[in-house]
Amino acid sequence: MNAADQTRAAPSRRTVLKATGAGALTLAGLSLAGWAFDSARAVANADSDGEGLTFLINNLDGGWVPSKSAISSYEANVWQQLTDKLVYTDPQGQVSPWIAQSWEQNDDNTEFVLHLREGVTFSDGSPLDADAVIANLDSWARGRPDEGIARVGLFPGSTYDGAEALDDRTVRVRFAAPALSFLPTLGYHGCLLLSPGSIAASVSEQSDLANQIGSGPFVLESWAQNDHVRLVRREDYDWAPQSAGRTGAAAPSGITFKVLPDDTLRASAARAHQTDISYNVSPQVLDSFTEAGFEIEVPRYLGFVHGFRVRADIEPFDDPRVRQAIQRGIDREEILRTVFTSAWEPATSWLQSGVPETTDLSELFAFDPDHAASLLDAAGWSEFNAEGFRTRGGRELGFTIYPTPYLTGSIPEAELISQQLGRLGIRVATQKVDIASYAGHVDNNPKQAFKEVTRSFVDVGTVAEVITDDGEDWFGVGSSDQKLVTLRDRIAGAGNREQRATVIDELSRHVLEEAYFIPLEQNVQRIYVQAPGLGGITFNAVAVPSYYAATKEKS
Amino acid sequence: MSATLSTAESKERLTPVRSGNRSPARRYSTYALRRVAESVLVVLLAYVLVFLVLAAIPGDPVSSQLDNPQNGYNDEEKAQIRSFYGLDQPILVQLALALGNFLRGDLGISLSMSLPVGDLIGTALPSTLVLAGTALVLALLISLALGYLSQRLPTGAANTSVRFLPTVFLSTPNFLIGLILIQVFAVQLRLFNVIDPNGLGSTLFAALTLAIPVSAQIAQVFITALDETAAQDYTEVAVSRGLRPGAVILRHLIRPSLLPTVTVCGLAVGELLGGSLITETIFGRNGIGTVVQKAVSAQDIPVLQATVVFSAVVFVLVNLAIDLIYPLLDPRLRSKEKAA
Amino acid sequence: MTAAILTTDESAGGHQQSDGPNHAGQDISTGSGLRLRGRIPLSVGIAFTVLAIVLAWSLFPDLFTSRNPAAGVPNRKFTSPGLNYWLGTDHLGRDLLARIIHGSASSMTSALIAVTIGVVVGGLMGLVGGYLGGWIDAVLGRVVDVLLAIPSFLLAVIVVTALGYDTRNAAIATGLSAVAVFARLMRSSVLQVRTSVFIEAARVNGGSGIYILFRHILPNAVRPVLSLAVLQFGLAILTIAGLAFLGYGDPPPASDWGLLVADGREHLLHAPWLVIAPGLVIAIVVLAVSRISRWLDQGRNQ
Repeated sequence: MNAADQTRAAPSRRTVLKATGAGALTLAGLSLAGWAFDSARAVANADSDGEGLTFLINNLDGGWVPSKSAISSYEANVWQQLTDKLVYTDPQGQVSPWIAQSWEQNDDNTEFVLHLREGVTFSDGSPLDADAVIANLDSWARGRPDEGIARVGLFPGSTYDGAEALDDRTVRVRFAAPALSFLPTLGYHGCLLLSPGSIAASVSEQSDLANQIGSGPFVLESWAQNDHVRLVRREDYDWAPQSAGRTGAAAPSGITFKVLPDDTLRASAARAHQTDISYNVSPQVLDSFTEAGFEIEVPRYLGFVHGFRVRADIEPFDDPRVRQAIQRGIDREEILRTVFTSAWEPATSWLQSGVPETTDLSELFAFDPDHAASLLDAAGWSEFNAEGFRTRGGRELGFTIYPTPYLTGSIPEAELISQQLGRLGIRVATQKVDIASYAGHVDNNPKQAFKEVTRSFVDVGTVAEVITDDGEDWFGVGSSDQKLVTLRDRIAGAGNREQRATVIDELSRHVLEEAYFIPLEQNVQRIYVQAPGLGGITFNAVAVPSYYAATKEKS
Repeated sequence: MSATLSTAESKERLTPVRSGNRSPARRYSTYALRRVAESVLVVLLAYVLVFLVLAAIPGDPVSSQLDNPQNGYNDEEKAQIRSFYGLDQPILVQLALALGNFLRGDLGISLSMSLPVGDLIGTALPSTLVLAGTALVLALLISLALGYLSQRLPTGAANTSVRFLPTVFLSTPNFLIGLILIQVFAVQLRLFNVIDPNGLGSTLFAALTLAIPVSAQIAQVFITALDETAAQDYTEVAVSRGLRPGAVILRHLIRPSLLPTVTVCGLAVGELLGGSLITETIFGRNGIGTVVQKAVSAQDIPVLQATVVFSAVVFVLVNLAIDLIYPLLDPRLRSKEKAA
Repeated sequence: MTAAILTTDESAGGHQQSDGPNHAGQDISTGSGLRLRGRIPLSVGIAFTVLAIVLAWSLFPDLFTSRNPAAGVPNRKFTSPGLNYWLGTDHLGRDLLARIIHGSASSMTSALIAVTIGVVVGGLMGLVGGYLGGWIDAVLGRVVDVLLAIPSFLLAVIVVTALGYDTRNAAIATGLSAVAVFARLMRSSVLQVRTSVFIEAARVNGGSGIYILFRHILPNAVRPVLSLAVLQFGLAILTIAGLAFLGYGDPPPASDWGLLVADGREHLLHAPWLVIAPGLVIAIVVLAVSRISRWLDQGRNQ
């Protein structure tokens, strides 16, 4: 860079540079003008969508085949607005009428008669009558596995004998064994009512949301993969459940679900008042939103608490003392204080406290580091290596947590657990994985003993289906734990709710005493950050919101 | 890989042809043909290289789905599905098949999304092109401004700062720039809408994030070129020959200073495509970068293969175009041709 | 990584045009020797100080902080920077400064690994190609073309995907993505030295190929490569930080600088220091390295 040479060519070059500079300024000016236009447009948008809602969501990658995505934490938010259910199940598990206006059942709980509401139609105009309901029931109970359409997992399908139309608006459903879960399950998010045409469609047709015809308060306007789903109000809708607190067409003119995968961006957008609802914002930032006047909804579903299920067939966790030590070594109070807000509550069992059958068993897994240490000593993990971790026969005690991508906050929680168990001499590695690779690391990994449970159900009978190899075999014990097998059979065969509740308590004790399940906190799988002034939102038993009656206060 | 190296490269490639007494036009077409052939070869080799790297990835989404006991596939079904995706073939056969399909324009099927990869890229491409294009324009504006100031400001602290600025731009991680831009301009000042990543405001700021490091590269070359041009005698000679100042500027100053800048813009294409990975993530855009990231986490090899090779094709094409135009523009190269 | 080379190559190109065959080894060494004895600009002094501090952090982290980088005091989460915690605490109450200091070893080592791979592999390719010429040079040249054609960050991403996500692999991936630029520079330097008068003289005097290569060509060609290596070191820090930011490095509680930014990102709204502090540390270190590289480069040119 020669200063001397610079001066020589100076006059002419200066002119050039002036010209270039002017050009650059013009271009910059143009971009600025465009930018100003954009800002103006953004403001105009904000004004005109006063009636509609914007909902920012992580992803809608699950597709629109109902058997795949109806119970997804993400797509369920959309399905709920597009479709109705036979009954409404509230967060306490109470069932109330919706499309089924009333029902009767026999004493054995094997036969049910549903009386349907009159005048309900799908958005294509076809009636939601007995035949349509039967088509739905068959599909929930059986699916079409040869075509890749799964049945609804929680529906009592194995004992389903079929349904028949007694008349246009009356359906009789028969089961081969008592089906206590039948009625509450009708309010489950998997059991959404679709038109017979949609149900009969092939998987590839079903994957287009436009082919899914429901009877809900909103209908599809447009959607684009990975981008958005836009719904508009259905003007002739008039069959909301009583719990909605409103009749007639929905309050908002429409809802736009906008995919924004990044947690931080969704939080930023909410803070900048660019959206009405942001889904799954990190729990650790929520306090700052509350301070800024935002409403945070952390609905809890019926189901299992957030915790680890431990595979007791994997060394060294086949030793109950090791499992118990881990269970006792986790300081749940500290987790709640650090990772979550005061809206979260401690687990009292391995079942959410909203489940009517749940009993408070928290003393079975209370934090007790001294007891934990003595359990580990007794199990032979009494040597310590240079890094301070326990060893036995030269092997270090430890495991890896792949924080579940289905739960916001699971990563800092895993880090904190790693710190807590580290103090006990257990090395806990944490490895972040996303939804796409989660199954490979956890479900399909024969060496992975710890899996986080984030599972909802509407009827507690579900627990019988996960504890042994007759079902999902969560604990890897097969049928080797005789007590589990007996309890499973007693739950499945229970003739009434009271009797079953006793068995559930017995089962919960056993599962917690054996430390097959290590509870963490009451599961909040869905976090909704709502703009100040947004109201009228209801959540059902599985914590899915309905925006049918949502109103925005003009601020 | 600077402008100069690449120029040197072109010169190097031109010079051997100097022997013999073929016409310049003939020699240029020989050179052009050779560059085209080389480019095709590079793309094919890039395909092979990427294929071999990706072959080392353990597992794939199809197998992990098949092996999930909950899906309950039997062995025969597994074998059928694996053979549908060609996963049962030896690696070299897979390579040959894939390369053959690639040559026919078939990029394969995404393992995780069961969609043709071509469609995936086609959907994501416009967003990335808009981002990269805007970023390139912004980078040029910034470089022009810096170049102008570097010559305009008197030697001193201000001038030194301007000349130091590209280094600062280059040293700042672009994710930091992006995060701060969003925080300040979207959240605090509410100047743009983060929920509309493809809107003009969001695009401009995303492009700025991408443009800052790229502008540093361009500015460094541009400033050096301006300095070198300023040191040449021919500007004065031209003036003394009685050319109007405007013509002098056009022919003798702007052009030589911009030539290396054009080359570095070609090289910046790689930077723009690579940088889009982080920028798109931060600004929530659905582009090629997002496709790559999803494919990485799903171990979706056909998608990775196609997107990486696609980037290489873009890079090669842009630089081929620049190399072909360059000898036609560069007076030094032309005069050498005349001399020969 | 692309950016790095600009300044260095610029000057290398300059040599080829202006100095040509006169540019013999003897000149280079005296030139840089003089430069080193000369006055060190203030900014270069600051750059060396920054680098020295970070090196000290990497080697003896415990001298600079007594706090545990991996375990914090959960009750003190999100403490703002102040007298007690100079750079504040993170979402688990861990001291950010301690995390930055303890993360520097990993960040520096991985950048060093990356540059070493680039220098050794790329340098060897350039050396062999440039010295032997012929079909070997042509083949190596095509490989380099291919490596250059793939955007370097993308290349690093797919290599780290193939190797598995951790910081060491990210370093290897970054190194491989930089092989091409080193190969190019080494080759052009070798070509330039090979044709110079004193190599011709050595050949005439009957020196064997290998002897000439190691005794004469390598020491002279290695200088521009080293200058590039310093610059690439800074860029490797950026690339590895980028990979860590996208989650392709070591998982927490590791505290690589890029990971710190990624971790702090969701708290930008209410705890901005978690992003700004590690981000600035990266920027300052890279800036310091670039300054040193520029200074070395200018020295070489005079």
